[in-house]
Amino acid sequence: MKGTLVIITAILILAFSFLLFTDITVVQRGYTKTKFYLTDGIGPALKVMSTPVRFVDELLDNYINLIDVKKRNGELKKRLETMELENQKITELEKENERLKGLLGMVEQRPDEMIAARVTGEDVMNWFKCIIIDKGKSAGVKEKMPVVTPAGVVGQAVEVSRWHTKVMIINDTNSEVDVYTTGKHTRGIVEGTGQTILKMKYVLKNDDIEVGDRLITSGKDSIYPEGLALGIVININKTRPGLFSDIDVMPFNNFKKLDEVLVVKKG
Amino acid sequence: MRRIICLAFGVFLTVCESSLFSFLPIELAKPDIGVSFIIYGVFFLTPLDGLIAAVLFGFTQEVLSNGPPGAMLFTNVGLLLSCLFVKSRLYIESRYTFSLVCAASVLFESLLFLALSLLSKGETRDIFNVLLYAVPDAIVTAFVALFMFSFLERFRARYWSRA
Repeated sequence: MKGTLVIITAILILAFSFLLFTDITVVQRGYTKTKFYLTDGIGPALKVMSTPVRFVDELLDNYINLIDVKKRNGELKKRLETMELENQKITELEKENERLKGLLGMVEQRPDEMIAARVTGEDVMNWFKCIIIDKGKSAGVKEKMPVVTPAGVVGQAVEVSRWHTKVMIINDTNSEVDVYTTGKHTRGIVEGTGQTILKMKYVLKNDDIEVGDRLITSGKDSIYPEGLALGIVININKTRPGLFSDIDVMPFNNFKKLDEVLVVKKG
Repeated sequence: MRRIICLAFGVFLTVCESSLFSFLPIELAKPDIGVSFIIYGVFFLTPLDGLIAAVLFGFTQEVLSNGPPGAMLFTNVGLLLSCLFVKSRLYIESRYTFSLVCAASVLFESLLFLALSLLSKGETRDIFNVLLYAVPDAIVTAFVALFMFSFLERFRARYWSRA
């Protein structure tokens, strides 16, 4: 009897979740509220959990860096000619430092337009790509706000709770960003594939685009503001049948290495 | 109380997984911790325990995932129902059989999600992605299930009377 009752309850929950999945507004409203409260409970736990994890991660990073430095020292002693290369690296780092300072300055100058946040978690299923950040409604984050780093676009806020926000990354299969190539203004839509490489779609075969072209947001999708760096074209296939080219894009951001992000407030 | 402690530990592990994986450069495989609890609940405890685990982990995964609303709940409860139907035909005698059943359950969940997407929305976007990760996820889950089984058996032997 008890077993039958469990089966009936399970079937009812199954039917309920199916209705949820089919986007019926009435069913979704109540569910979203429940989820919101549950997220409020889990959010702080994630933040607490990420602290020791971050500590171990930094510790390991420092240790690995130390080993690298030791190796590099040995190599430098053996090969003095690589000094030039090292110098070049330092110059690049200086440039990066300047860029970062610029961004920091930008945030400091316009604190009302950006919200700095830390990444506290990641999607538990790898079917979807999202990160969880430690700023939510209380910090002024709203749905559809773009999330960026100094390197480029990360994604958009999709679910905002009081203290935490779920950010859909641009490599999620449900993500689309309107972009154009710098200098050439060839427009297209960059779609997530669930993998590191993104796909740029709806670019005609006779459009002016080359491997190495940098992509920036066009601002026409009314989510991402114009001019944010997104990625670089790494492969173009024009032999495929059809009107459009098959274009692979490498995002500037490494989404597995995100520590801090900026949420861009919209007017 | 024992149920709450056991399930809270499972939720804690899921939250740990979410937090830990954002720092690890691993993308190909993620274990489904909830599966171990659902299978264990159905086969070693009572169907009600299985149902509670399925709903709780369904909710937790929805909170920590960007999946469409209801998707994780559906796959978890779908898995529970399937387990209840095969309970009398399937015998889990060791941690290795348990781990195999958990791996098969992850594959089943992936197929269930694809079927749900196709039937309700006609979407085919996620097919490649879900299929790509299904096998690695199943392998990692099987590995984790070996430890989960030992933990759950010890927990039950110490604090729980056999169902």
